[in-house]
Amino acid sequence: MPKCTINGKEIEVKDGTTIMEAFYQKEVPIAHYCYHPGLSIAGVCRLCMVEIEGMPRTQIACNTKITEGMKISNVSDKAKDSVKWALDFHLINHPLDCPICDQAGECGLQEQYMHFGKYEPEMGQGKVKKRKVVDLGERVVLDTERCILCSRCVRFTDEVSKTNELGIFNRGDRSEVGTFQDKPLNNNYSVNTVDICPVGALTAKDFRFKQRVWLLKNRESICTGCSTGCNVNVYFNKGGVYRLKPKYNSDVNGHWMCDKGRDTYKHLNVEARLTKGKKTEEGKTTECDAGELAKQTAQLIEKIKKEGGGDSIGLIVTAQYSNEEYAAMFELFKIKLGSNNVFYWINNQKTFEAFDGLLYRGDKNPNTKGLLRALSKCKFDQTWDKLEEKIKAKQLKIVVVLGPENQEVYPDISEKLKLLNSVDNVVWLTTNQVLGTELLKSCWQIPVKSTIEKSGTYINFKGLEQKIKPVTNIVSGALTLTEAAALFAGDEIPFDSKTPVKGERVWNEFFHHRGDL
Amino acid sequence: MEVKHLTEHYDKDGYATIKGYQKLGGYENLKKALKMKPLDIINEVKASGLRGRGGAGFPTGVKWGFLPNNGEPRYLLCNADEGEPGTYKDRLMMERAPHQLIEGMIISAFAIGSPKSYIYIRGEYFYPKSIVEKALREAYDNGLLGKNILGSGFNHDMDIYSGAGAYICGEETGMISSLEGKKGQPKLKPPFPAIQGYLGKPTIVNNVETLAAVTLVIRDGAAAFRKQGTEKSPGTKLFSLSGNVVKPGNYEVPLGYKLIDLINIEGGGLKPGRKLKAVIPGGSSAKILNKEESEKATLDYECLAQMDTMLGSGAVIVIDDTNCMVDLLGVLMHFYHHESCGQCTPCREGTGWLEKLVNGIKSGQGKLQDIDLIETVARNMCGRTICALSDAAAFPAMSFVLKFRDEFEFFVREGRSKIKGTSYAKMHH
Repeated sequence: MPKCTINGKEIEVKDGTTIMEAFYQKEVPIAHYCYHPGLSIAGVCRLCMVEIEGMPRTQIACNTKITEGMKISNVSDKAKDSVKWALDFHLINHPLDCPICDQAGECGLQEQYMHFGKYEPEMGQGKVKKRKVVDLGERVVLDTERCILCSRCVRFTDEVSKTNELGIFNRGDRSEVGTFQDKPLNNNYSVNTVDICPVGALTAKDFRFKQRVWLLKNRESICTGCSTGCNVNVYFNKGGVYRLKPKYNSDVNGHWMCDKGRDTYKHLNVEARLTKGKKTEEGKTTECDAGELAKQTAQLIEKIKKEGGGDSIGLIVTAQYSNEEYAAMFELFKIKLGSNNVFYWINNQKTFEAFDGLLYRGDKNPNTKGLLRALSKCKFDQTWDKLEEKIKAKQLKIVVVLGPENQEVYPDISEKLKLLNSVDNVVWLTTNQVLGTELLKSCWQIPVKSTIEKSGTYINFKGLEQKIKPVTNIVSGALTLTEAAALFAGDEIPFDSKTPVKGERVWNEFFHHRGDL
Repeated sequence: MEVKHLTEHYDKDGYATIKGYQKLGGYENLKKALKMKPLDIINEVKASGLRGRGGAGFPTGVKWGFLPNNGEPRYLLCNADEGEPGTYKDRLMMERAPHQLIEGMIISAFAIGSPKSYIYIRGEYFYPKSIVEKALREAYDNGLLGKNILGSGFNHDMDIYSGAGAYICGEETGMISSLEGKKGQPKLKPPFPAIQGYLGKPTIVNNVETLAAVTLVIRDGAAAFRKQGTEKSPGTKLFSLSGNVVKPGNYEVPLGYKLIDLINIEGGGLKPGRKLKAVIPGGSSAKILNKEESEKATLDYECLAQMDTMLGSGAVIVIDDTNCMVDLLGVLMHFYHHESCGQCTPCREGTGWLEKLVNGIKSGQGKLQDIDLIETVARNMCGRTICALSDAAAFPAMSFVLKFRDEFEFFVREGRSKIKGTSYAKMHH
């Protein structure tokens, strides 16, 4: 455990720690471009120069291990001069087109040159011209003039995605990042290269020119694309969500997330959402308030229960909701309504166990584990087969559906809708406009909140319980399932409640205090 | 005076063939070495004070001593990627005495316990490569390579690998990258090649001349080897004399020999009527010496280091008074700009910047502050990169500007060369 000092402050680190890691651990700011904690060390940007007492030259922090008694500084005049010159070398051939660059506002180069006040590059002899707008693949565009050749993206495709699409071609200041012939950058992790690009060289086709980054806020959440449950930062503003970026979590996704997961924000925006309660009866649709529709549902349920008993009320569940919501709904069905007709809607069963070796899993639901736990707790074990039987036998008078948030991963949705046609009453709780509801003669759709609008927990593939918190509000008036369950039971709830404390309480009671139901 | 130790038989017919080589005592040193203990050979080389002839001048025996004893296979690489402008000694050695190199390599491999070695030959050296290839076949045919060499129980295989024309592959880790089939780019150190080199295994990289000189150390012993040269630079060395001399060529002289004697005695002096202006003593990467310094300098590691330059690969480039220094610096800067691998930012951007600055002056567009900028840019390229190419580009730039500032200033003020009278811009018109 060597001791050393960083900028005069004494610290102790583990054996084999590099200076860069020590700076990270102690949260001392240090400029760097090529170093990335998730990649191998390249040592090429030369920006992380530090002065070490007793050494004639400044050293790079990323590849220098700390030894006992080392006195390290990155704020001494000598260190600062080294960094300033490394920056100068970066800037001389850089176009410095920040006003039209998509990276502006989150650019490492911009940050540093502003820090050093280097608004004009020293180069008076004409800059090296390179290719602009190079199409690397389905999702990524490259500007080789802005590229500072830190090689992060190349190392990413080499070490993380192991797809090796990228390389640095040519030499010296003619060097350019590029793809090999006939092998575009089309792996499922390609946009990570955009995230780790310290400058505006790599931009995502999906995000570029849509929004200035300083107009975006970001909050953390969980990706709902599959059962891995990657931790993400959601970037949003009044106009909705613009992108998802991975948030570091060593237990789940490390530094990365997949491209498919990044797409999951698209169905969260208002354009795709169900914004009002919809009542379709004999082909005629009227809009109404979500809460109002839930109350009407409550009355309907009560009536049906009186007439035909609890088991004439059915519930179809998908693994796309939080544990708290399942708890509230199951409590309602099992205890208050006395129904055992809860059916698990399993999507793409064939690929359930598939895994690409890195992050992406075949189970494209965020909370399968949570749902299974809740189902077994209540001894609910029916699936669509049973449901079909019971529909045919006319045992169900009303079916409540917890529709999937991401409908794309439920390809059988319209087929299932057809089956439901022979049920008299269908209440569809959904975040999105349901694809193909016109197939139903009669259906009530109640808008519910999406992952980024509510709090709760999801359990990922390996049993890790992860929290989600409200990021932003996209559909005002939408309900959480907890709220909907309360309304179905005839309770009053405050509609503006953003944190359904009740849901958490129910979840706790459900699993920890009440024993088997 | 020229002292022929390494090059003793270079002018003899058939010395490049195994028969000719063996007739003149060839492979006797190997026989002797194979009877010694490997550690004794290393100690003998250490005691001889033999320093790496490729450029850095690192003591060879000490380098061998860095190898870890971890039971991993070790590799011996012969650096024959002779690319330093002005240097052509390894070419001569490979053309005239390929067996001397092979013998030196087998001895060295035996000393460090390496089962496999490679000769990494410069891409443009087609002819030397063909000679070494032939010699290698002869060595295999005569049981000098392969299994159980000369009945000693020592196994060793040797191969040739041809470079593809990159200067940077002469840098040892760049060479290792190239040999591994990767883009020829130097590797970040540490780890050093002796710990993790070729294919991640302990590796020793030695220059052609160094490996050949190992045969002399074995033949004569360390004490005899030390009789030539100076205390800190023992032995003789080949110098590639080029530039404005009457008899350019490779000359073997003891280290510590006077630079001016090499020019005047071996090189036959300058052409009539010409005056000495400057000398680059150790390949184009070495800092330039002006006339006064050249007259005082001796060809050894310590004297040239004292004069803030280096012995390097032993390429002595003589420059007379008909040369324009701005012009020459332009040539050098073009070279380094072209050869920078582009990994490290200071070198990638700096080499191009330096060339542009010098070209700016040459085209008559230069400003006086550009001269200072050359110096500042070069200074900030030194010691800040993975390998020494950045320094190699910066050294000539800094020293040219420092020592021949008047020529640069004249060019900026007058828009023409102080020596040649015309500017390139005007010539174009």
